[in-house]
Amino acid sequence: MNKFSKTTFISIIIFLGLILSPHVLHAQAICPLDTIKPKKVESLEAFKRIPILNQGRIKPLESYAQSLLLLFSGKTHYKKESADEWLARFLFAPRTTFDDKIFLINSPEIAEALKIEPDKHRRYSYHDLDPGYDKLKELAEASNSIDEKSRSVVDSEILRVYSNLLLFSRLSGAFSFAVPHPDFYIESPETKKFLHWEGEQTKFSFYDMLEKSESLMQAAKDLEIKDQKEWTDIEKNVARILSGLDFWGEHYANCPIGLIPTQSHDNEEWISPMDTILSGFFDPVYKQEIKYLREMVVSYWNGSQLEFDMNAKLFSGSVFERLSPKEKKIVQKIPLELLYNKFNFLAWAKLFYALGFFVFLLSLTFKQKKLYQAAVGVTILGFIPHAFALVLRILILSRPPVSNLFETFIFVGLICVVLGGILELVNKNWLGLVVANTCGVILLMIAGKYSAEGDTMQMLVAVLNSNFWLSTHVLAITIGYAGCCVAGIIGHIYILQLLNRRSDSKGPEITYKCMLGILGFGLTMTFLGTTLGGIWADQSWGRFWGWDPKENGALMIVLWCSIIFHSRIAKMINPLGAAVGCIFVLINVMWAWFGVNLLSVGLHSYGFTSGIANTLLVYVLIEILFVSITVPILGKRNIKF
Amino acid sequence: MSFRQELNKINFIRFLSSIKLTVVCLILLYILTFVGTVAQVQYGLYQAKSRFFESFFFLAFGFLPFPGGQLVMWILFLNLMTVALTTIDYAWRNIGSIITHFGLLLFLVSGYMIMHDAHESFLNLREGQASNVSSAYHDWEVAVWEAATHKDPLTTSRQVTSIDTRQIKPGQTINISDLNLQLTVKEYYKNCEAYSRPVKNHILNASGITEIEKADLLKEPEKNTPGGIFQVEAKDGKAVDVLLFGGENGPLTLTADNKTYHLNLRLKHYPLPVTLKLIDFKKEEYPGTETARKYQSLVEINVDKIKREKLISMNEPLRYKDYTFYQSSFSVDRFGNESSVLAVVKNSGWLMPYISTFVTFMGLVIHFIMVALRLRKKVY
Repeated sequence: MNKFSKTTFISIIIFLGLILSPHVLHAQAICPLDTIKPKKVESLEAFKRIPILNQGRIKPLESYAQSLLLLFSGKTHYKKESADEWLARFLFAPRTTFDDKIFLINSPEIAEALKIEPDKHRRYSYHDLDPGYDKLKELAEASNSIDEKSRSVVDSEILRVYSNLLLFSRLSGAFSFAVPHPDFYIESPETKKFLHWEGEQTKFSFYDMLEKSESLMQAAKDLEIKDQKEWTDIEKNVARILSGLDFWGEHYANCPIGLIPTQSHDNEEWISPMDTILSGFFDPVYKQEIKYLREMVVSYWNGSQLEFDMNAKLFSGSVFERLSPKEKKIVQKIPLELLYNKFNFLAWAKLFYALGFFVFLLSLTFKQKKLYQAAVGVTILGFIPHAFALVLRILILSRPPVSNLFETFIFVGLICVVLGGILELVNKNWLGLVVANTCGVILLMIAGKYSAEGDTMQMLVAVLNSNFWLSTHVLAITIGYAGCCVAGIIGHIYILQLLNRRSDSKGPEITYKCMLGILGFGLTMTFLGTTLGGIWADQSWGRFWGWDPKENGALMIVLWCSIIFHSRIAKMINPLGAAVGCIFVLINVMWAWFGVNLLSVGLHSYGFTSGIANTLLVYVLIEILFVSITVPILGKRNIKF
Repeated sequence: MSFRQELNKINFIRFLSSIKLTVVCLILLYILTFVGTVAQVQYGLYQAKSRFFESFFFLAFGFLPFPGGQLVMWILFLNLMTVALTTIDYAWRNIGSIITHFGLLLFLVSGYMIMHDAHESFLNLREGQASNVSSAYHDWEVAVWEAATHKDPLTTSRQVTSIDTRQIKPGQTINISDLNLQLTVKEYYKNCEAYSRPVKNHILNASGITEIEKADLLKEPEKNTPGGIFQVEAKDGKAVDVLLFGGENGPLTLTADNKTYHLNLRLKHYPLPVTLKLIDFKKEEYPGTETARKYQSLVEINVDKIKREKLISMNEPLRYKDYTFYQSSFSVDRFGNESSVLAVVKNSGWLMPYISTFVTFMGLVIHFIMVALRLRKKVY
């Protein structure tokens, strides 16, 4: 069985199909079951808990379903179906998903090139794309030959769509072993009798034939010595089935779905059911697990909930028993992850923050004390799920909460809310509430954009894989970013307050002092984070400072803040100048946070940020516009820069 | 106190200690940092670094002289020093600010020390291989040694004289007194291309190269291949021209004054105080992916024949005296032999930035807490 030990490559999504033979795409050839619909099961509670190894992490099938659907369609659900429901249908009855419009193609140009009618939701089905497969492959090969940095948006989109289509077609065959197929139909009663099949059934699956492999092998031996012309009907049937088995073995091998861990603990490899069959079906443990999966497919079609759940649980249990203690610990965290998936904590947080901001707007017209209390309450209601989501992530991944760009937004958002809360406790004048709610909404919205790129709980590359440094350097620098962001927001508020000044109101003065205080905090933490980063760099690469773009970005924040403080002391600028300076600190933070990643040079280019450039540019222009309108107006009122 | 007042009367001192000078320097440094970041896209880190940060002056847009990072930092250093000497009010309420600025002074000093003292090199070891010499990434040297007169298979060491090529210029003459040779630089290029064309006047070369042509410096300095033509003159006055090129495999052999010499243009070698032997290289990936989780090199450290083992991994280097050995990268040849690349950094001041960080941060914390408390009192 050495032939099939190529399974180490299963999870590499093979671009361009160079390794795949051309017929691979047309997975799941004529399956009679597509004429009738599966009865399905009502509840997928047991199904979504099944562990799967994907992208280096053991996670529940539910998370896998969500990230897979997100990868294909940019959404975590399909129409009214949840990701679980869709995945179950896709795995157990793939034919029913071939008309689902799940492939997101952002560029109408591509749809046109593939001769598909452009869809207004920009989503297409497998059946839409299949006829244009050869064209897509040709385009993808051309795009792939271009250097990654000089690829256009359309090129990357072609590659994305192509690899998604390949992945879809390969995954669609993951459970085909359990579904009856004409390759294994036996009409003749003699052949059935020969293989000891009782009853009326004539439609069999790959799996059914495996169970008869002993009789089949026996017959195969006779076939070898006999001339083909002298074969009996039974023998012809046996030969047909054997060649079917052989063909399927090659056709469905290396399916990228890691459901079944291999027996040895050393290599931590999880492989697909079909690869398990190919590499060790006669191992009793594997055989039993394959049987559970097969029963799940059958009960899904029959709509028998009880059997479905039972087999799902037995399967998960059997897999769990075989895991190493380390892996067991991860699997035991699956309920936490399901909890995280179930309640969309961050969406709730975002909603409450937005509501808090709305209450503030109301308070501008209706001066009522109740509105203040309501705003405090709503902000706290936003903070709770926000913090809870972060704590859950720490528990699930057993690492500090800032390890990719997505998480930095959530974390910085939370710190901003905390800083806003502290300001509010000190001043009790709405300032902190406005800051907290504004930062909360904006940062969680940006985080939402980043979460659209797939699983947000990725594993870390070797150099980042250090909890100590992640929890010191990265936390310090992101807290610094948070401080600077808050100072920037207060800068805006200060200017707006000046514009709206009523005679001897003390408002702006307090705001100004808060702004400088928070800026000092931001400077201190950014400084600490940057230099701790230097120490980390010294520990791992042997130099404290290397003028790397990310380091420079943080240095620019530190320099900018010190410029503000020193020119204030030198009386080169007035409070208004300092406020404008704070607004530009925000731009500095954006630059350091994800702007430098656009340069794609240096050691820190970990975030996928193409397409951000324009947004960033528009943002900078808006700020410049804001400053160049407000400052002259204030100048006329004798408030100097 | 009176001495400080005296100092303050001097215009130049007043200029040096002015806070406006600080602001100007900070703004210049800010601009340099931004430009030096963006320039890395086009010129690469190394060139951007030497042009904008390590220089005293450079020409902006090709004609406008602009102060470089080193000059700005020197001015900032002088600025801080004069402020410390003349104007600062050493009072308790300024304690945070004073500590911060002394921390920054320390940073500038450590920057200077590291720039002049530290050097990076690398050690490429196959499994089972041992070495006590590391090579530079992109600094080259001309190595000259006398061919062994007696062949003792047990001793492989030899006396090599090496000439650093960073400073050499055409026309320069270098005496190698140990070997009684005199070397004159006729041509030298930091990056060049070598050609082998039929020409009349034959220049001595080990691999049939007849000409070198200057080429532009590349983004990655380690991709530059230097070359030069040197005149070698022996004690007896006979001179011969030799062509050395960095891309050659073996050294050039030369006979002068009845002795045989070898010359080689090679990446600079650094002797190490220890001998390292790579016992095993291990690489671990996340299951089912190609993302690396861990790289590790198990090495045997041999100091004066006392051996011990140590595991070097990402974030866990080996420190020995002023030297630090880091896991840098690895390679696997087509026979499956693994080799590990260790970065070797000699830096006697490596602890300085750690101290500076601590001092400055503490200063900032104290300062801003004190300011915040004072502000609160004022507001209410």
